[in-house]
Amino acid sequence: MGGDGIPKSAWEAAPRAWLPLAFALVGWLAAILMAGNLTAAEVPTYNRDVRPILSDRCFACHGPDSGKRAAELRLDTEAGAHELAIIAGAADESELITRVTTDDPDLQMPPADSKKPRLTPQEIDVLRRWIDGGAKYEPHWAYVPPVRKETPAVQQADWPRNEIDQFVLARLEGAGIAPSPQADPTTLVRRVYFDLTGLPPTPEQVDEFVQDASPDAYERLVDRLLASEAYGERMASWWFDLVRYANTVGYHGDQEHRITPYRDYVIKSFNDNLPFDQFTIEQLAGDLLPNATMWQRVASGYNRLLQTTHEGGAQDAEYRAKHNADRVRNVSETWLGASIGCAECHDHKFDPYSAEDFYSLGAIFADVDLWGSFEKVSKNNSPTERPPEMLAWTLPTYRKILEVDAKIVEIEKSLDDTLVEGKWQELRKQLVQLRTERAELEGEFEPTMVTEAIEPRECRVLPRGNWMDQSGKIVVPRVPRFMPQIETDGRRVNRLDLAKWLVSRDQPLTARVEINRLWQRLFGVGLSKTVIDLGAQGEWPVNQDLLDWLAVEFMESGWDVKHMMRLMVTSAAYRQSSLPREELESIDPENRLLARQSRFRLDAEEIRDNALAVSGLLVTQTGGGVSRPYQPAGYYAPLNFPEREYQPTLNREQFRRSVYAHWQRQFLHPWLLAFDAPTREECTAQRPISNTPSAALVLLNDPSFVEAARVLAANALASNDSNDAAQLEKTWHTVVGRPAKIEEITLLQQLLEKHREHYAAHRADAEALLRVGMTAAPETVDAAELAAWTSVSRALLNLHETISRN
Amino acid sequence: MNREHFSAWERLIDRRTFVGGASLGLGAMALASLMQRGAQAARVGAETSGADPLSGSRGVVQPLHFAPKAKRVIFLCMAGGPSQFETFDEKPKLAELHGQPMPESFTKGQPIAQLQGSPLLALRPLAKFNRHGQSGQQISELLPHIGNIADDICIIRSMQTEQINHDPAQTFLNAGTSVSGRPSMGAWINYGLGSESDDLPGFIVMKSISDSRSPQPISSRQWHSGFLPSRFQGVPVYSQNDPVHFVTNPPGVDRQRQLDVIETINGLNRLRDLDEQNQEIVTRIAQYELAFRMQASVPGLVDVSDEPQHVLDMYGVKGADGSFAYNCLLARRMAERGVRFIQLYHRGWDHHNGIKKYTPEACLSSDQPSAALIADLKQRGMLEDTLVVWGGEFGRTPMAQGDVEGDAVGRDHHIRGFSMWLAGGGIRPGVTYGTTDELGYYAAENPVHIHDLHATMMRLLGIDHERLTYRYQGRDFRLTDVAGRVVDGVLA
Repeated sequence: MGGDGIPKSAWEAAPRAWLPLAFALVGWLAAILMAGNLTAAEVPTYNRDVRPILSDRCFACHGPDSGKRAAELRLDTEAGAHELAIIAGAADESELITRVTTDDPDLQMPPADSKKPRLTPQEIDVLRRWIDGGAKYEPHWAYVPPVRKETPAVQQADWPRNEIDQFVLARLEGAGIAPSPQADPTTLVRRVYFDLTGLPPTPEQVDEFVQDASPDAYERLVDRLLASEAYGERMASWWFDLVRYANTVGYHGDQEHRITPYRDYVIKSFNDNLPFDQFTIEQLAGDLLPNATMWQRVASGYNRLLQTTHEGGAQDAEYRAKHNADRVRNVSETWLGASIGCAECHDHKFDPYSAEDFYSLGAIFADVDLWGSFEKVSKNNSPTERPPEMLAWTLPTYRKILEVDAKIVEIEKSLDDTLVEGKWQELRKQLVQLRTERAELEGEFEPTMVTEAIEPRECRVLPRGNWMDQSGKIVVPRVPRFMPQIETDGRRVNRLDLAKWLVSRDQPLTARVEINRLWQRLFGVGLSKTVIDLGAQGEWPVNQDLLDWLAVEFMESGWDVKHMMRLMVTSAAYRQSSLPREELESIDPENRLLARQSRFRLDAEEIRDNALAVSGLLVTQTGGGVSRPYQPAGYYAPLNFPEREYQPTLNREQFRRSVYAHWQRQFLHPWLLAFDAPTREECTAQRPISNTPSAALVLLNDPSFVEAARVLAANALASNDSNDAAQLEKTWHTVVGRPAKIEEITLLQQLLEKHREHYAAHRADAEALLRVGMTAAPETVDAAELAAWTSVSRALLNLHETISRN
Repeated sequence: MNREHFSAWERLIDRRTFVGGASLGLGAMALASLMQRGAQAARVGAETSGADPLSGSRGVVQPLHFAPKAKRVIFLCMAGGPSQFETFDEKPKLAELHGQPMPESFTKGQPIAQLQGSPLLALRPLAKFNRHGQSGQQISELLPHIGNIADDICIIRSMQTEQINHDPAQTFLNAGTSVSGRPSMGAWINYGLGSESDDLPGFIVMKSISDSRSPQPISSRQWHSGFLPSRFQGVPVYSQNDPVHFVTNPPGVDRQRQLDVIETINGLNRLRDLDEQNQEIVTRIAQYELAFRMQASVPGLVDVSDEPQHVLDMYGVKGADGSFAYNCLLARRMAERGVRFIQLYHRGWDHHNGIKKYTPEACLSSDQPSAALIADLKQRGMLEDTLVVWGGEFGRTPMAQGDVEGDAVGRDHHIRGFSMWLAGGGIRPGVTYGTTDELGYYAAENPVHIHDLHATMMRLLGIDHERLTYRYQGRDFRLTDVAGRVVDGVLA
């Protein structure tokens, strides 16, 4: 059980736990059986059971890396293993078993100096039974194209709502577990709002759903959410983590670079439901498409998102090497779920990627013009100039132009000879106005970095990644050797070829990788939990048939992302309650079989957007400029070249969604950092979820949250409800999304009364609190009353439930 | 790690830690509730961020691999790259070659930064060296205070690194690689050893305010936790405005009002937990209590008004001005309060030009406080278990940058040989380790790579650098990558 698998850590935990030993052992055994899905009688299979062990303990010295291979033995190929170490059908005569079982320090494997743990008796037993059963090898599961297996039969035939549920339920029934009941409607509606739009439902939207008795109420809700603009904004955050979209260059002075139209392209693409294959092609090679549209050229900004530097004394050859490695890492991690980055210095130790594969993949990008990264176009400016750039419209301008164009067409159509004189002249006048308006709109553009192809640079293997060593072999652009190759009839393979290859039907990885990640967003953990890496060191998917079914469905639907999202969120599995069940704690402690939903803290962006939404401050505008939330003064003091002071946005754009917030790679807003948003220096497929005092301080004291609390308080007081309890109940409902309990109202009431009394006696304090933020406090409300209510609102915005999705 | 899990054992809470650490000062109700929930923690512990709900969290190295010599580290980062020729590495031969081309045998095929395409002429050392203390260590006249502690420090003259530009080299110094997204040493060490402080973070970073030329930008990558859980990342402490972001209450909210709000939050969370049975809620309650304690402890940390005048004078502290001197004093206060890894940045060492003016300036602002920190720790009996490191991401060239005879002359970045010093916790005092060649270009005897420095630091803290690993993307990562050896010659 390799990787960070359950059995190993549970085993380590058992002696430390204060639990009765018997309990721990039951959990451990159950975990072993579940993780491997292996019963004692079954012959282990190579991919599922054996490879994780060999990969973890043996491949580093007896695997794909030709540079480090010991004793000329390789255990990652059938031929290599059977030649020297394994006698099929005879475990006891196989050297492999002798070596992992012996106590002789000169013979034992892994050797002590490798610092790798020895194999457990259970692992040795797996190897033994596998060898006795013939020691058959299989290609790594993720390198074999997925096939759509027939959906399994289930006993509880009325539970499944779609194919997903049949796969899930079959596994549950196999383990003798019943699924959980459907979540209560208030929980479910809040869950699906956050998952699809990143925003909470209003109390009215909750009620609308709860009271809708029609059988397809939920499906219609899902359709509305998928059609909302907020959907694209939510999905974009996910994509930005992968492709490392940020507003600054990343190295040294961390100057701003110009890329916001690319951001709008991504949001627009998700909202338009651009097929994922086309989405891929446009980003990697939009500039190479015939008659590329503005958006397709903007999309090619993807190739410019890597970290660059303006440091004086940066050596071109060194940075070309850094850029190449950065790019190969990102393409392979984003689309292939592969950690090819290791092969910059040596052949990969676990997967069949050679160093030559690494540089050959990089060579596909050798035509990307990066001269703005090497020529001093402008010295120490922020934003920098990073040609090649183009002038592009952001989404709001683009949409206005579309509207104007539609009107122009309409008028032009109606301009015919049958019109009476006056009408004709009036329409002509309107037309002139519209054309003037269009000309003005056309002037509202922003520079954005794009890809332009130049004569490709010569690319070599850099021995051990050393950019000063130019002795390595010159490489031609190609994809990793062990995968199906791109056929070009001798023409140089380019980015467009690569993009098409990534999304071709026989590419085994891309669809699985992306579906696994979308699954993680909706269920809390991927079907393979190593969402960044589906290679040999990745986790065997807990339900491969389901993952493969979804991957095939994704491709055969025409890479229809909304279709896949709809499929997943309308499944019965998704709709289950997330409440823990005591009996599951021992059999499925990580909730991998999905006998219930998962529950987890919201992302950084959602937490702020939620505060803005429930207070009514949120300004919805899709695309456009960058928004700068309040930030502690002097935070950028350690930056230089040039020195700079952050200027928060002081108009209503302050309150736009966080996907539009300025993303300073080296000095990410403290709120984003405290809630685990990544710096976007590298591909991030999974944000950690921490629970720290820094996060508490943000929610308690960051002016963005204090202002939201203040405005929320003013809303409560502006309502027509006459008494505290009714106002508290309403505010609670707005923030938490469910009706309050009496004890909850009591606690809030106590706080309210204490602070009402305090602030009545300390009016200056009350007035100081009401001055936080840029929104003016209503003059009609007593300051002490509003301050006391602000305390109540602050408490509400800090609740665990408020910042969680259940 | 998935969204709900960190690791199985971290979520199984040791009950003794739980009860022992729960002195919250927030009322008996909170404590009682925590203890009661502690008994349930393992049973319904399936959804945790892995944050130990209480401070004083344990590290993953249990037990330590070696008997530790040091409990904590103070790393004085001289960002920009101090010149070894004007500080710790006397080179009379370089003076003889002054103004002449450097022999090609030294420079051929070597990476250079801003001198690309320029003539490579030797520049004589611009400061005199003196012998100090019983050990007779040679230290430049620009560092008289450090001269006074010569018998307490171990100078390494043979440091080497791999990156020649500031940002990648600083990243290499902190994370053992120039690739972004890897944990810094302070994060690794807190991950390994856990925190000793009840009310302060285990890893604190301070950047000095400097009026010297073009202070180095310092990116947050330098104290990031990379793929380690984010609670191990360094927390910047500032000398102006809020010392820690958002540690101050909103205007008009006094400490009692803040406590009222926090108690309401925790009370409501406790009610919710009755329905949800969620370990994360228990953790959050404890973190709000810790946050409240930090709101008192952090201002106490940075308020030096309780320091006697002679201590202020010793460091040269003129007030809470964010100077390196002030930060050195705070470093001692953090060490006293159990902060595990303290990192101070002096940002004024990048002397491509004006080295005659700026190196003395940088020495002046670094010398007295650095020496005072050692002396102060020593007089309090803390030097023996505090490891102090002084040095930059690289050194500077023996070659001149700019007119070799002009006043504006400087030195470029240099990575093949440069100097650092270490003191305290397990370091052999009063010795100089390693040499460079006669022109100060290459580390000659006993080269010490940055990986070796890391391995040695970890050894002193009781950790085998090859065994503190973290699995990410299917590979076991460590601070020293695939290299690093403990430098026995600097150990006491």
